[in-house]
Amino acid sequence: MLYAGPLILGFILGFILGSRIKFNTDSGLNFTIGSYIVIFIAALVAAYLIGPFPYYTDSPFASGFVATIVGIFVGKIILGRDIKEKKENDKEENISK
Amino acid sequence: MSTILKIFIFPATLIIICLGVNTILGGHITPGGGFQGGAIIAGAFIFGVVIYGLKDPPIKFSHDFIARMESIGALAYVFLGLAGLIFSGFYLYNLGVDLYGIIPGFIQNIFDYPDPIHAGIIPYLNFVVGLKVLVGLSAVVIAFLGFKNEMDEDEENIEEIE
Repeated sequence: MLYAGPLILGFILGFILGSRIKFNTDSGLNFTIGSYIVIFIAALVAAYLIGPFPYYTDSPFASGFVATIVGIFVGKIILGRDIKEKKENDKEENISK
Repeated sequence: MSTILKIFIFPATLIIICLGVNTILGGHITPGGGFQGGAIIAGAFIFGVVIYGLKDPPIKFSHDFIARMESIGALAYVFLGLAGLIFSGFYLYNLGVDLYGIIPGFIQNIFDYPDPIHAGIIPYLNFVVGLKVLVGLSAVVIAFLGFKNEMDEDEENIEEIE
C-alpha cells in the first residue's frame, strides 16, 4: 500500500515548481513531448535506484520522487505556458500605434 | 554557453529538483530536511540560470512568485506553531504525535502525517521551510546576477562615453 503523505506533498511541491517552467520560444530551445517522456523514464529509473525512501516498504520506487516528477509535468501542462516575447512586443506596439 | 550544456541542463534540473523534494520528504527520519532539500532545489534553479542566463531560464521565478512563496512558507510555519499553542498550550507542540496525551484524538488525526512513522507536524514544517529556503536562495542569486548585469551595462556605457 502506498503512503499518502509523500505522494501528496511531493506532488504539491512538484506542481508549484512545474508551473514555473516557461520557455521563451525565441531562445531557440525546443523540448518536445518525446524529450519529456525520456526525462520521465530517467526519473523513474532514478526513483528505482534510490529505492523506497525513507525506510518505506510500500513500493520499489521512491514514491516522493515519482510524485514530484508527475507534479512537475502536471504543473507544466496546466500552468507552465511558453512565452512568446516577440509577439507580445508586437501586440504592445500595435496597441501603442 | 554551448548547445550540449543547454540540452543537458534542463533535464538534469528536473531530476535534481526531484532529489531535493525527496530530501525534504525524508527529513523527519533521515539526514536532510527543509533547508537541505530547499538548497538542493535552489541549486537546480541556479544551475539553469547560470547556463541559460537570467533572461531565458527554463524555470522562471518572478518577484511576485518569490514573495508569495516566502510569505506562505513563513505563515504556514507560524500557523502550525499557533495551532500547537491553541490546542495544547505549547507553541509548536507536535499535535500529530501528542507525546503528553493532552489533545483530543480527532485533532491528532488532522495533524498526523500519513506514513508508517507518524511524525506529526515535522514533515509539514520541513515542507514549509523547504519552500521558503528554495525561493530565498534563488532570490539571492537572481539579485546578484541582476547587479552583475547592471554593472556590466554601466561599464559599457562608461567605455562608450570615453
